[in-house]
Amino acid sequence: MAADSVLKVIFELDGVFIHPGADEGGTDQDLLLSGSLRILEKDAEVLVEYRPLEDSVDPSNMLCAGQDSSSVVEWAQSPRDKSQSHQLLETQQSYETEWDMVNAVSFRKKPCANGEGSLSHSQGRSRWAFSVSVSDLRSITVKDEGWTFLILHLKEPSAPLPALHFHQGGSREFLDSLRRFSLLTESPGDQTCLLVSTPNKVLSQSFENLLDDNNFGLVHRFQRDPYVATLGGLSKVTNYIFDALRGAEEQQQRPPEEVADLLGEVIPGLEINQQEEPGFEVITRIDLGARPQVSRTEPLTADDWSKHLDAEGRLQGVEELRNKIFKGGLCHAVRKEAWKFLLGYFPWSSMSEERKSLQRAKTDEYFRMKLQWKSVSEEQERRNSRLRDYRSLIEKDVNRTDRTNRFYEGLNNPSLTLLHDILMTYCMYDFDLGYVQGMSDLLSPILFVMENEVDAFWCFVAFMDQMHQNFEEQMQGMKTQLLQLSTLLRLLDLAFWNYLESQESGYLYFCFRWLLIRFKRELNFQDVLRLWEVMWTGLPCQNFHLLVCCAILDSEKQKIMEENYGFNEILKHINELSMKLDIEEILQKAEGIFLQIRSCKDLPHSVSTILGFTDCHGSAPTKPGSAAALRPTRQDVCSNGLCRENRPPNSCRAEFTS
Amino acid sequence: MAAKKSTLKVILLGDGGVGKSSLMNRYVTNKFDAHLFHTIGVEFLNKELTVDGCKVTLQIWDTAGQERFRSLRTPFYRGSDCCLLTFSVDDNQSFLNLNNWKKEFIYYADIKEPEKFPFVVLGNKVDVTERQVSLEDARQWCQENGDYPYYETSAKDATNVAVAFEEAVHRVLAMDDKTDYLIPTDTVKLHRKPRSANICCS
Repeated sequence: MAADSVLKVIFELDGVFIHPGADEGGTDQDLLLSGSLRILEKDAEVLVEYRPLEDSVDPSNMLCAGQDSSSVVEWAQSPRDKSQSHQLLETQQSYETEWDMVNAVSFRKKPCANGEGSLSHSQGRSRWAFSVSVSDLRSITVKDEGWTFLILHLKEPSAPLPALHFHQGGSREFLDSLRRFSLLTESPGDQTCLLVSTPNKVLSQSFENLLDDNNFGLVHRFQRDPYVATLGGLSKVTNYIFDALRGAEEQQQRPPEEVADLLGEVIPGLEINQQEEPGFEVITRIDLGARPQVSRTEPLTADDWSKHLDAEGRLQGVEELRNKIFKGGLCHAVRKEAWKFLLGYFPWSSMSEERKSLQRAKTDEYFRMKLQWKSVSEEQERRNSRLRDYRSLIEKDVNRTDRTNRFYEGLNNPSLTLLHDILMTYCMYDFDLGYVQGMSDLLSPILFVMENEVDAFWCFVAFMDQMHQNFEEQMQGMKTQLLQLSTLLRLLDLAFWNYLESQESGYLYFCFRWLLIRFKRELNFQDVLRLWEVMWTGLPCQNFHLLVCCAILDSEKQKIMEENYGFNEILKHINELSMKLDIEEILQKAEGIFLQIRSCKDLPHSVSTILGFTDCHGSAPTKPGSAAALRPTRQDVCSNGLCRENRPPNSCRAEFTS
Repeated sequence: MAAKKSTLKVILLGDGGVGKSSLMNRYVTNKFDAHLFHTIGVEFLNKELTVDGCKVTLQIWDTAGQERFRSLRTPFYRGSDCCLLTFSVDDNQSFLNLNNWKKEFIYYADIKEPEKFPFVVLGNKVDVTERQVSLEDARQWCQENGDYPYYETSAKDATNVAVAFEEAVHRVLAMDDKTDYLIPTDTVKLHRKPRSANICCS
């Protein structure tokens, strides 16, 4: 029985109001009814449904325009259906517990006696409930009175539907969700009016087949998270259209979808971007305003640096110093000294004598740990598979790290031995983590700058403190960052974000290498040094490296969308950007994006959290020079904005709740 | 009517440092860089081929070999038409691990009939003088595990590299009743992969 089939909830938003008094021109202007707005998919039909919030919505009063006719039909439950409905209710509840977001709702369809097609309201709140098929919508009027309200117009003449007032936001999200099923175009004569057109029946039928058959991956995901799976499935519709336009030869490429589905399972939590649970913060299209042009300055010289040192070797004007480094980087001669401060190996407030004694203590500690692995006999190592594996991989990777750099080139280069020894000693320092591929990339520039085994080791330890989560067993750091990047990208460029979604690339997997080793493979060696020292200032905000990602993507999005790149092509395109990027240009753009976001009023809470904007929203644009005030305390916060210790595994979720 | 283009996905698997990226680069660009970086994440290169007068795009996927990256590597196994199991003849452990790589691939690529799936085995670095794996041992493993073709390759001096990749292509095409698959035709063959059967084309 088709009418008993389960409805899928595509979109749901509580706190959507109607103003019955105003709509009827009555006197009771202040009456507000709160309710929930949903987009439901039932069989091939997509419905927009509004229900006022109350305990007992009487379904018999609920009016509905069916897809197949212009007449209004009524959902009804007669008394003899009670046992059945009881059963259905049970099914519904069990679904709800198991399937979280999907509300299995079932109605029996009964032709409406009221053939003239008007919406006859009965008494009570439930008379304001309505449900219309998207295919019966003619247009949507979008108006703003400090909040957005929408009026839905049906193709067939009927009594007007009540205006929906989005006092708590979410109208954009609603419209975006609708766009997955219909084309919304601005009316030529009236920009407040969106004309609704839906795909023709034949095409819808193909969509349906596509979704039905599809692949087990989708079904599998559906069980885990039906809501996202539905959205994911629908984005495949977009793919289908692209494929149809591109011609048959591309249509065999189904594997990328499966790959993307599986990646979605590996990078869990990303779906929370897409969920609009009641009370959930909705990130809508926010007008960010123009992006300020930013200029950069010359690198800080050795003279500049020494001017900041007092007689006892204590640094003065640290904030100013940090700002200068953020704006221009460092001349190479200063790096050996300055990086130790930037990385936190030397405290900014220390005197030179204190630093000398610190170095002495750290030297002892280093060699004590180095001795530990050095003194493991072959016999012992034979019984220590983890140490053996670490050593074997380190040996292989040291020979494959920056070998074209003069510092590491040639056979039997002593720098390679240092790289090896520091990585082995790090295994002793943190045996649980040991050696993970990518770590040699992080160490190489540090050793290059320090030219000293012990200093390089401790600076590397400090850098690893920031990067640790990237390399842990569950790669939580990577997952968190991909999630955060997705949130930022969505704020900055919803159209591009939607495009990536439609190409199964919403998980941003293609940024994996960027994030794992902080652009080490993307930039030439000198530019890596520049980017890292700028990043280590902690300015102008937390997680600045994610804005660097956004800056690069901003430069590539046009090509990606114009060329209509799919999953594979996006991955390939991004991989091949390696060594073609201009660091100063990227830093300018990233800082511009920071200023743009910073000056935005009504910034979503999740975005403020990621960037560490702890003060209230809507503050005046921050001058680049005064950004230091925003900096979080270095000791408390890792570069990804999360403390490594004592962090519950699912805490990234909390960042997205308001 | 012009020949139809087909894409074959081939994936290189094996321990870190056995030369997966080098084999791929040698085959696609005919270059060898002894100091190539180890792979982070997942990469692929395309190579256009003409087989029996038909154009085929060989899509070669290369991944990071370390265990830690498994969860982000395995999704890319999906849709592979052929798997090149790779070890280094101067590294016995990489040879012993072939079995694990094979199992991991079959599991994550969701291969329904593993005994019919085309694997090709490559013993790389034959230019190195100190071997740890003998030709006989390697051949025996291939024979016992499904009669896989075995090639001793050197990405460094290009020994057997092209031959091995071409063998992979032939294995895939043989799987598919190749005449049917590659004959220039107006329609894409739909029953090759059930998951694309619902897409009609003309």
